[in-house]
Amino acid sequence: MDDTRQRIIEAAYACVARWGLAKTTVEDAAREAKVSRATVYRAFPGGREELINAVVSWATQEFFVRLYEHVQDAGSLEQVMERGIMFAHRAILEHDVLQRVMQTEPGKLLPALTVESIRIRQGIAAFLVPYLAQRGVAPGVDLDEAADFLARMVLSYMSAPGRWDLDDPAQVARLVESELLAGVVAGAGP
Amino acid sequence: MHAPGTSLHLVDSDEIPRGRVDRGRVDSGRVDDGWIDDGQVVDGRIDSGQIDGASPHRVRIIDGTLTCLARHGTTKTTVDDIARQAGVSRATVYRVFPGGRDEILAAVVDTEMARLFSALGVRLGKAHTLTEALVGGIVEASSRIRNHAALAYLVDNEPELVLAHLAFDESDRLLTTASRFTAPFLARWMSPAEAERVAEWATRIVLSYAIAPSPGTDLTDPGDAERLIATFVIPGIEALHEAAPPTPIVITPFGTGPRGGASPTTAQPQHRKHSQNTEHDKGDRT
Repeated sequence: MDDTRQRIIEAAYACVARWGLAKTTVEDAAREAKVSRATVYRAFPGGREELINAVVSWATQEFFVRLYEHVQDAGSLEQVMERGIMFAHRAILEHDVLQRVMQTEPGKLLPALTVESIRIRQGIAAFLVPYLAQRGVAPGVDLDEAADFLARMVLSYMSAPGRWDLDDPAQVARLVESELLAGVVAGAGP
Repeated sequence: MHAPGTSLHLVDSDEIPRGRVDRGRVDSGRVDDGWIDDGQVVDGRIDSGQIDGASPHRVRIIDGTLTCLARHGTTKTTVDDIARQAGVSRATVYRVFPGGRDEILAAVVDTEMARLFSALGVRLGKAHTLTEALVGGIVEASSRIRNHAALAYLVDNEPELVLAHLAFDESDRLLTTASRFTAPFLARWMSPAEAERVAEWATRIVLSYAIAPSPGTDLTDPGDAERLIATFVIPGIEALHEAAPPTPIVITPFGTGPRGGASPTTAQPQHRKHSQNTEHDKGDRT
């Protein structure tokens, strides 16, 4: 059953990539996955809406799996953050499906993506906790609070770089050193 | 609700937080403190005939629209509803806003942004220390966002409309606008280039906690905000200053070049003093 569910999700993602969110129907996904309409409804009793949410959720997870693979062998907390921010920034810009849907149907994507972002934030924070623990947080800093703060900031920069050029390693290093880690880790800053 | 623009006194601060104030933690005395003298505070926004130098009709229509939006959102608000709420005729609405509903809604967004920035300007202008400016600005912005009745209705019922301003490129635009406005107030304590970075950073913090509230950190609460600023932001500002020389900020779209013609090399002499200041600012903030 899980295999079927997964097959339907990936099929629906292919449809979204081709036609966008609004035009992807349960029938399209069924045809693409080579299953019956009834099978789709059995896997997704909530129908189209549940399927679309599952697609956004899966695509987001895929994104973060790639991000994780990119940073997992980093040697230090700084390196994790620097690599992660640079990779995520690039990956968002180069994510054709995300970019296209954001251009044409942001109103359909954003609510689902916002729900996802809470899970994402918790995922990033959980990933950072062992790095922070190993490195040691500054006196008076709560480990979980620091991880949550960093996750919030990472999400903010990767989706909207503002004045930072996130393709420039020197700028990213400066960003990580100042706005991200200065107050968080022991022995940083003045 | 009162008739907009007709009486020019501050309402009792008790009346300000209507229902949206979280666990009574917003100190309403702070929220209305120091605003435009002839304004009224309603649902956490300034209601004043004077604030944008606009015609009284324009302001009444915009405030009437805000009331309608707080009740029914954009889809169920008609020009007739707006006219009735504003106490003007339909013809007047169209004379002021020939583009009708869409033009009114765009004007509402612009006006509410201007009101937020104007309140931030007052708050930041009164601050004596960097910490006071950051805490005051963050609490002011967070409280206004949380207590905004029309915004709250839209977040609950038409989220895509609000989120469209907060994601990716639009979020970048918002960061640029907000930080460009607030940076000059921070330039008392750092170079203009650093001030723009810090203002942008503070804007990110406000937006993040407004979009996804944290159980442990309520940025409408001055105590929580001060703790967050002292823990994460002040050390970061010091590191920003001491790290590699600031990259020159290239200001692209709106055309006046670096603010006030100042360059990173005109950094103010009191730079290194801000941490010292921040330790002595308790108690003078009420």
